[in-house]
Amino acid sequence: MFDYPIFEMPLLGHRFLFAFDAILHVFISHGAAVGGSIILMLSQWLAIRNNDRKLDELSYKILFTFFILATAVGALTGIGIWIHINIINPAAIGALLRVFFWKWFIEWIVFNVEMIFLLWWFLSWKSAPLGTPAKAKNFKLGMTYAIASWFTMAIITAILGFMMTPGNWLKSYFPAEPDYLAALFNPSWIPSLGFRTFWSIAWASAMAMLLSWLFTRNDTELRQKAMRLYGTVLLACIPLFCLFGAWYYDQFPQAAKDLFWMGAITRRLAAHPEYATYLMVGLSSMVLAGAVSLYAKPKRTPLVMAVIMLFGSMGLIGEFERVREFVRKPYIIYDYMYANGVRVADVPYLNKDGYLKHAAFVPPEFRSVTPDNKLMAGKYLYQMQCRYCHTVNGINAIRTRIQGMDEQSIFIRIGALNSPATPFMPPFTGTEEERHALAAYLDYIRVNKVESEDDLVKSSAPVYAH
Amino acid sequence: MKFNIIPGDIPLPLPTGGLEFMEPVFHALLVVSWVIHILFINVLLGASFASVYFNKRGVNEKNPVFDKVAYLLTTPVTISENMGALWGVAPLLLVSILITPLFYSASIMNSPHWLHIIYGNIVAFLLSYLYKYTWHTLHARKSLHILIGTIAVAMFFTLPLAFMSTVQLAMTPSTWTYHTHFWDILLRSDTFFRLVHFYLASFAVTGVFMLVYGMYKRRSDDPEIVEAGKVLTRTGKSWFLVPTVINLFIGPLVLFSFPDYGIEAFFNHGFHWLIVLTVLVVVYAGYQLLKDFFNDDLPASKVWSVVAVMFIAVVSMATLRHGMRMGLISPVLAASKAKTEAFQKESLLAFEAAQKAQSEAPVVTQPAGMALAEKHGCLACHNAEVKVVGPAYKDVAQKHYSATQIVQLVHQPKPENWPGYMPMPPMPQVPPADIAQIADWINSLK
Ligand code: HEC
Ligand code: HEC
Repeated sequence: MFDYPIFEMPLLGHRFLFAFDAILHVFISHGAAVGGSIILMLSQWLAIRNNDRKLDELSYKILFTFFILATAVGALTGIGIWIHINIINPAAIGALLRVFFWKWFIEWIVFNVEMIFLLWWFLSWKSAPLGTPAKAKNFKLGMTYAIASWFTMAIITAILGFMMTPGNWLKSYFPAEPDYLAALFNPSWIPSLGFRTFWSIAWASAMAMLLSWLFTRNDTELRQKAMRLYGTVLLACIPLFCLFGAWYYDQFPQAAKDLFWMGAITRRLAAHPEYATYLMVGLSSMVLAGAVSLYAKPKRTPLVMAVIMLFGSMGLIGEFERVREFVRKPYIIYDYMYANGVRVADVPYLNKDGYLKHAAFVPPEFRSVTPDNKLMAGKYLYQMQCRYCHTVNGINAIRTRIQGMDEQSIFIRIGALNSPATPFMPPFTGTEEERHALAAYLDYIRVNKVESEDDLVKSSAPVYAH
Repeated sequence: MKFNIIPGDIPLPLPTGGLEFMEPVFHALLVVSWVIHILFINVLLGASFASVYFNKRGVNEKNPVFDKVAYLLTTPVTISENMGALWGVAPLLLVSILITPLFYSASIMNSPHWLHIIYGNIVAFLLSYLYKYTWHTLHARKSLHILIGTIAVAMFFTLPLAFMSTVQLAMTPSTWTYHTHFWDILLRSDTFFRLVHFYLASFAVTGVFMLVYGMYKRRSDDPEIVEAGKVLTRTGKSWFLVPTVINLFIGPLVLFSFPDYGIEAFFNHGFHWLIVLTVLVVVYAGYQLLKDFFNDDLPASKVWSVVAVMFIAVVSMATLRHGMRMGLISPVLAASKAKTEAFQKESLLAFEAAQKAQSEAPVVTQPAGMALAEKHGCLACHNAEVKVVGPAYKDVAQKHYSATQIVQLVHQPKPENWPGYMPMPPMPQVPPADIAQIADWINSLK
């Protein structure tokens, strides 16, 4: 990312920062908005059909919770994903926006419909009592909201699908010319949309079951009704999302499939793929145990089962998003751009001409490597190429990754970062001297616990010392 | 004008579909959507402040009408916080394609503080819901209730700090250095004057909003709401007039705190006539309200004429602001585009050369085991002769492992065999048959 300034996120690192916002967004947008709108529409419809005042009131209470979550946290973390990627990987979001501008624009228009109808549905629910014509109108507001929120997910899923399986979207590389339709109808769009749709509904049902438990403390009849309703929806969705999930997985590039088990646990445990199986079986049983017992014995099942079900679902969702992000590595847009913002086709030129030379935000005195500025130049290289996935001391700390090596072996190792031993890392990009500078810097931080500015910039560059 | 830093552009075409006229359309959409976003934010700040203010006044003066006014104001707060966030997306989208390198660079320089517009917003949002939905529950505990409201308002008022400093930085690339950071920009006079102008405008816009809202409330059948409507109308007038008059003085300070070349371009393109228009229109609106200053039953025709006239003022302000922005950044955008095109031209040559070299590379014959070691990435860490990350294979050969043992050791390494080395990562994906061949090669090294 030689075109942009450098932003450091100490200890947590960029991936964590991004994941925090993104996972929060997924929990809430999929549950409270997409899935939530669908199941609440369903229960409002049943309440109208059976003239069931209690179910109507319960649905409103759940909607109240979903409303607060969706507007205050869901919508803002959604914009947040964008703001985060702006500062973490501007080259990637810049490219995605140029390819998907109109889809995003349409999505935004639908997002308007979604927001307006959510506000309208929620704010007018109370003034439209059961049995009045206003109620039927209120139901239509909910239906519009549900359709709109599903539609926004459909578009965003196309973009996510594109990042993993772009298909034949580039008509030419130099100058880059996208085929916009091919990008939209990329191979994993439809399967991943089906997958997300059904688990969103299942996840929303799980949330609704927990909330129903809380809102029906004094009315076990109502509780039974709610658990049967949402429980049926949840259990019916499971085979559907499994089916779509298998189809989705089938679309992954082979290299991504190879990384699947490693993504599911950590590299340290890669020798034990069975741990990943235990993890997933464990989480799934938490969901199933909670759902089945609440469904079968709604009056007797304690709250803790609902909580277990909720945590199990969150674990599975988090695990899915983690694996999806991991197996796309080393790319951010498959075959087009590496995770650190370097376009694949630019690598030969950068290797020949130098990476730092083109770094707009690196002071000119560090753009060519000299014995004096070597460490500082190496630091800039580390920050621009590795910091996306590594931190110095915190999560995936580079310092512990190079323990037991010396400058020479680091130099050799970083010449083969993208080798089949670590296919999830992009290659180091730059000239031979730059690679030496990076090795020197990494060796320096391996040996020295604290970096001192005096060491990094020996005699040169008073400009930097501010 | 000389710029120290020219960021690169995104090497993909603008999504204009090949239509020339789309670019100006994008600019127009940017101006319009941005104005709508800002108006919502103005009302959010003003109305949330007003709600807490009247809540407190209701307690102090024991006047239920003020409490009513305060409660009525929570509805526009909810709507404008949601719609404000929503209408922030369109400008973000357009800015990201029209002035990509400048906007992204500025937001990175301002990070992580820039993220405050997300996390700070979420906290403020939740607190403002808490304030609204505990109105009746906390009726007996007003000081707690007012405290919650005050914290929410204070949080909302911090958001423009992050926002304005980023926008201002994106607009002034001539001020960029290699270590510009958030606090440098926030404490700059241009950012400061713009912020003052913005906060004052928020009260003025909320004043106009109150005129309209009050007018509707005055039509209610409920006498208490009619009273509240009158309070809103009365407040609206002074909230509009006082900040607007101050802003007539702050405006020039904002204008002249921009870099000289921007001001020059601004006048050369005739944008100063829009300033004249804005001032005339604002003075007219002020005059209309002053004439009816003591009339709480402001007629609808007057309210709507003020709204219409102020709409012209706002659009005119937004346009001249866009003019200033483009005047300041067009030279950098052009340089950025040229730089990227030159880069791509060179990159194409190197790309072709690399492809040619690859297809012409001589086929080297090497032992099958070595080729497999290369293919599975063993050679990233091992060398036949010397220690790299892992031990030299020559030294491994000294241990006289069988092929099966080596398969085991690759799938589940035993770091204790090689103290002082980092642990070798397990590589279960490598097929045993391949490892057996690699093992033969390793053992052939003596
Ligand atoms: C796409 C993300 C990504 C990028 C970019 C990246 N790495 Fe890594 N790197 C990883 C992951 C994941 C690991 C494995 C961590 C583990 O072992 O659990 C790793 C491990 C390493 C290791 C240990 C290798 C081994 O075989 O055990 C080194 C050394 C390393 N990285 C250096 C670098 C350097 C230098 C750069 C910048 C030129 C870089 N990485 C860029 C993701 C990345
Ligand atoms: C990330 C670097 C790395 C990669 C890639 C790597 N090794 Fe190793 N290897 C090491 C290190 C470090 C050691 C010594 C410490 C240990 O055994 O854990 C080692 C040790 C070994 C040993 C000696 C084991 C023992 O216990 O005596 C063998 C055999 C070996 N590696 C084979 C391979 C093969 C075959 C491959 C490719 C499939 C491979 N290595 C890939 C780093 C690596």
